[in-house]
Amino acid sequence: MKLAPLTGRGNYFEDFRVGNVLRHARGKTVEPLEQVWITNVTMNTAEGHFNEHLMKSSPWGRRLGFGGVTISLCIGLAAEDTAENALMELGLDKIRLKAPVFHGDTLYCYSEVLEVRDADRPDAGIVRFRHYGVNQDDKHVFEGERVVLLKRRAPWAGK
Amino acid sequence: MTDDFRSRAKLIPKGNRYEDFQVGRVFEHHWGRTITESETAQFSTLTLHFNPHYYNAAYARAHGHPGIVANPMLVFTTVFGLSVEDLSEGGGPFLGVNELTFYQPVYPGDTLRARSRVLDRRLSDTHKGFGIVTWHTEGLNQRDELAIDFKRTNLVRQRTA
Repeated sequence: MKLAPLTGRGNYFEDFRVGNVLRHARGKTVEPLEQVWITNVTMNTAEGHFNEHLMKSSPWGRRLGFGGVTISLCIGLAAEDTAENALMELGLDKIRLKAPVFHGDTLYCYSEVLEVRDADRPDAGIVRFRHYGVNQDDKHVFEGERVVLLKRRAPWAGK
Repeated sequence: MTDDFRSRAKLIPKGNRYEDFQVGRVFEHHWGRTITESETAQFSTLTLHFNPHYYNAAYARAHGHPGIVANPMLVFTTVFGLSVEDLSEGGGPFLGVNELTFYQPVYPGDTLRARSRVLDRRLSDTHKGFGIVTWHTEGLNQRDELAIDFKRTNLVRQRTA
């Protein structure tokens, strides 16, 4: 199986320069599907994420999204551009949930390149991104850093 | 008549409060979870996480893996989820995560469990009735090897007198 045609040609390690800011093309409306499926599959037992009856009488008046879903979706929206040619996700840091996300909200994501450096293997390099998530009202709901091991073009683009 | 079941019932409460989180206290969280191939593929596609390692087994094998790799964000949210009843179900929003490391790939069929230690706590100046607690949470596989760890901070409700 040829590998390189399965993933993008413009998102290898060498394509990222410190200071670049990427606006990712797609947004995603967060349905109860994502919220409740991920909350329940990961066995998050906090019923504020899945008991609408209870939350109707809360200060928010409705179910709150699980922060893990906000983080996963914002990073997911950035993934085709920043993770498609990843060999391994290395870590996250300074993850901040800045405003609640509700069912039916729409998320958009932006990414900034903070650092590029060599890895301990010659066919890949390490990039540190800061991802930003905003909702349909341009409210900044998420921010966080992500460190990822990305393929270098020369050893991988011909495979 | 059995209609009085509600008046006879005693609530079985869930979750902990600020006062329960003495610095250094360790929680071995419940249940554990075996990651399945369908869940990681569904998680990856629902979150638009387009890296073929997580849903194309031939691609993953060509990169040296035995098959599909579990999406690390599913590993994170699962270890987080397993910790919720002990740590944060008692109420209060999740504020942030620092210093998260993925130590090794997790594969479908691997079983994760979670444990946490209280790192720090203080009362909130701005939210009356709440404190701010930070835990170090570890996700271990079936060989008791570290797969992931992170530091999580939440606003946590105080026990009402």
